[in-house]
Amino acid sequence: MIEEPYRWVEAIANRREYIEAQLAPGSPIAALGYRDGILFLTVSQSRQKIFEVYDRIAMGAIGHPGDIERLRMAAIELASTEGFTRSAADVSLRRLVHYSLSPVMKNAFEQVYGAPYLARMLFAEVGERPEEDLFLRVEYDGEIATNGATYAQARQDFAALSGTQQSREQMEALLATEHAQDANLETVLNSALDAWSIGHMTLQTDDAKEPPERAAVRKHRQEQLTNAGIEAALLERDASRAIRYRSLSDKELRPLIRD
Amino acid sequence: MERSPVAFDQNFSGAVGDFSVLLRRKGLLAPAAANPVPQGGTPQKMWQPTEATTILAFKFSGGVLVAGDRRATAGNTVVYDRADKVLEIDRHSIMAIAGVPATAWEMARVLEHSFQYFRRTQLQEMSVDGKVRALSKLLRDNFGFVMQGVGVVVPIFATYDSHPKPEARLYFYDAMGAQFEATDYAATGSGSPAVRGILFYENNWGAKPLQELGEDEAVSIALRALDTASQSDTATGGVDRGGKIYPLIKIVSRDGITTLPESKIAAVFKETVA
Repeated sequence: MIEEPYRWVEAIANRREYIEAQLAPGSPIAALGYRDGILFLTVSQSRQKIFEVYDRIAMGAIGHPGDIERLRMAAIELASTEGFTRSAADVSLRRLVHYSLSPVMKNAFEQVYGAPYLARMLFAEVGERPEEDLFLRVEYDGEIATNGATYAQARQDFAALSGTQQSREQMEALLATEHAQDANLETVLNSALDAWSIGHMTLQTDDAKEPPERAAVRKHRQEQLTNAGIEAALLERDASRAIRYRSLSDKELRPLIRD
Repeated sequence: MERSPVAFDQNFSGAVGDFSVLLRRKGLLAPAAANPVPQGGTPQKMWQPTEATTILAFKFSGGVLVAGDRRATAGNTVVYDRADKVLEIDRHSIMAIAGVPATAWEMARVLEHSFQYFRRTQLQEMSVDGKVRALSKLLRDNFGFVMQGVGVVVPIFATYDSHPKPEARLYFYDAMGAQFEATDYAATGSGSPAVRGILFYENNWGAKPLQELGEDEAVSIALRALDTASQSDTATGGVDRGGKIYPLIKIVSRDGITTLPESKIAAVFKETVA
């Protein structure tokens, strides 16, 4: 039956619907590039969602823990063997995602008799200068979205990942106005928390066309932070160290929050 | 090793905790060398230890000091006088090498990537025991080459352990991969007998035991020991007074690794050794 083109398209559409429903409750992740590096942030209830991949590369993911783990391992393996045989400078996020991860995810998604990857990932690579920061979002079907890297569209110094498209777009809209590249860690942290909150609020309301009020976002943020912890990591721009990834503890960040 | 059943693609696999296994599976690292089979009738050539260099390490009040001369030799020819034999493996670990540079540097590279690979995949730092054992395994895998007369490496490994209590740890190895934990000091390479004598003497009858030395005192003893070794061992560079080439000295402490600047070594040398 699946051999018939129409059936195949139908099966793919069903599968897309199923995966979207599975990913929908995923708590948002924001990544913001600024003067001293890139900040990854989420407010987490349980599992770790932000990971180190290689010297200058980190990832955040939502989805099924088993699938995330397999993709994370694959990314680390590929980056590590490349870094070992050549050098750390030759490990490129663009190639890692475009050449290795995306084709495999696309393939798994379209093989309708096999299991797709229930995961949506956000990768970032810190550059020598803020203009060189690269953000890549990879969908379960292998689709890739970038922060505009070197092409016509205006570059963005941030990226967002969330359970639904609507939630992600609200986060991006907020960051487009609130985030500035020359900010310091404190400002960036607060922008990231706002983005997370607006994304999280949007996930809980079905048909919010208008973005929520500013005061409501702050209130939601305060409520959430009383129960959950901040999970965050930095990719530092400081070139004196090879390994740029550093995880930030909740305790370290709390004093920087502006209510 | 069999590929994980979750693989859809040759670039994919399940979790492999050990980086050198991963490299071998991908064909990026030479297979472990087999011990040579003795040919009938011809007696096997005896293995000659030829780790032409001097490396020393000892614990002092500020952590572990690791020092190595800079000379690299091939037979009786000096090929390089700025060789780096004291290598940083991660933020708290140093591997200092005596032996064949090609093999030793490759081992250091594998080790460095192994520790990082472990931390990234397993989401925790490899334990000191795990690190010490990883180096031991690399040496064991290399032993076939040692028996063939090529590729002998005899390293020292210094690190700082934060569990169960914060303390500096120092290990030395033999060419087969046996590891020994040193309480106070370790030395390896062709110039090591002289150095071992000096360190033993200083530790027992010197002004104070090695573990109580301050940084300048420790540097001074390291320089004197290497200079002594170079007097009788042609493969050890010691301190090159004409070319102003000083040994490489690194210190492992709780805060990480410090490489002593040449100016500092030169100052201590001028004051207490020359």
